[in-house]
Amino acid sequence: MPADRTPPAPAIPLARWADRQLQAMTTWHGLPRLDGATLMGERGANGGYTITGTTSAGLGGSRLMPARDGEWFALTLIREVDRELLPALFGDAAIDTGDWEAIAAAVLRHDARDLVQTGRTLGLPVARVDETPASPAIDVMLRGERRDRPEGHRPLVVDLSAIWAGPLSGHLFWQAGMEVLKVESLTRPDLIRRDDPETFDRINQGKASLLVDFTDDAQKVALMALIRRADIVIEASRPRALRHLGIDAGALMRETPGLVWLSITGHGASGDPADWVGIGNDCGVAGGLTRAMADAGGGIGYVGDAIADPLTGIVAAREGLSALRSGVAQQIGLSMSAICAMALAEERAHDRAMIDAELCAWGQAIGAPFPTVSPRALTAPVRPIGADTAHYLNAFARC
Amino acid sequence: MKPGTRLKSAACDTEVMVIRAAEGQIECGGAPMGEAKPAEAAPLAADFSAGTLMGKRYVDAAGQYELLCVKPGKGSLSVDGQALVVKDAKPLPASD
Repeated sequence: MPADRTPPAPAIPLARWADRQLQAMTTWHGLPRLDGATLMGERGANGGYTITGTTSAGLGGSRLMPARDGEWFALTLIREVDRELLPALFGDAAIDTGDWEAIAAAVLRHDARDLVQTGRTLGLPVARVDETPASPAIDVMLRGERRDRPEGHRPLVVDLSAIWAGPLSGHLFWQAGMEVLKVESLTRPDLIRRDDPETFDRINQGKASLLVDFTDDAQKVALMALIRRADIVIEASRPRALRHLGIDAGALMRETPGLVWLSITGHGASGDPADWVGIGNDCGVAGGLTRAMADAGGGIGYVGDAIADPLTGIVAAREGLSALRSGVAQQIGLSMSAICAMALAEERAHDRAMIDAELCAWGQAIGAPFPTVSPRALTAPVRPIGADTAHYLNAFARC
Repeated sequence: MKPGTRLKSAACDTEVMVIRAAEGQIECGGAPMGEAKPAEAAPLAADFSAGTLMGKRYVDAAGQYELLCVKPGKGSLSVDGQALVVKDAKPLPASD
């Protein structure tokens, strides 16, 4: 297609749903008015993404491929180490793990259901187009004691999450006036800082930056002391990984009245789904968005850009703000795939014809650029990694 | 041993999925692992009783073997009597 005939960019489906959540947070919690289409589309717009159908936008790390049973299977391979698991996924020691064509051929030799089951056992981010989310979108898993906060109290947020969904919720808490500490692991830092600084800066501006060595007991003790002083904790680890780090959410909840603990996972924070890995694009598939687009006449493809991430970030902020206002300590599990399904169901109830038209237009716009959004100016500094470690950890280590 | 094969411990509850393997004998708790559980449990060898952790990947020094623990147990993993060790956690994904 000649460059001057590029089709117009359609709207990102569910951006209007996102915008209504943000409007409600402005009304009820005093959040500055932020635009849903901007939060959902700023990464794609900044990055110059195009709509690419069965390949995810941007780096193209997620692919939708037909399986033997006719169902479509989604696989995200954005870590080289995950490719080492492909021989086990396909039961084939000889597969060329670096070649998407070989991978697609192997997918065709298996049923999607089996690949999803094995893939989840292996810890690969996988999904199929016709699955139903395994967990509730929002799950209050634990409740603890109540804490009444004095008028004018500035809440403290400890953000242990990475990538997009969790940090976006932390960004919204910062927008709401809270003190937000972004905590990164020395051995597993948030790689978005390096790989996509435009997006990183927008959603992490104004946060203090702590770098913690989780093998150092003194630092871990100081971090736990910090968490006991916090009003909100955001984490996006599988519960098992958190336990291996020595972070016991249940115990911290019991010890800390009023603590709001947001557990963001791909497919749920309890039971078997807690061990499954999910990332923005495959979670959108697992949440039924690709099926909805196909049913609306838009064919099989990814909807939006890692769509489960911004939707989840917004929902996590909404739930966190409500929980904080209630004063009751609670751990809230947020399932990215189920949040996509919830947003779709609510948007269909709101205006079925409109969301179907948007999904259809998105699916038919292969080759079109992502919609432009007005770039958000940075209004606060982005702290260098670990710049505030000493300030916060030393202060609390003495308590 | 074909990648993707699930093996069960004869000595404890451990189950693994084979990620990568050569021709050696894969063991847990000091006893050979198999696709089926034997009728009679094998004794748990004291030298191989440190336990397995769910979701951890276990490797040998030469990188020929890699096993993913899909069900934890009291035994520990070995190949031909050589203990396997836990592989480091994967880095966080950068973007998708």
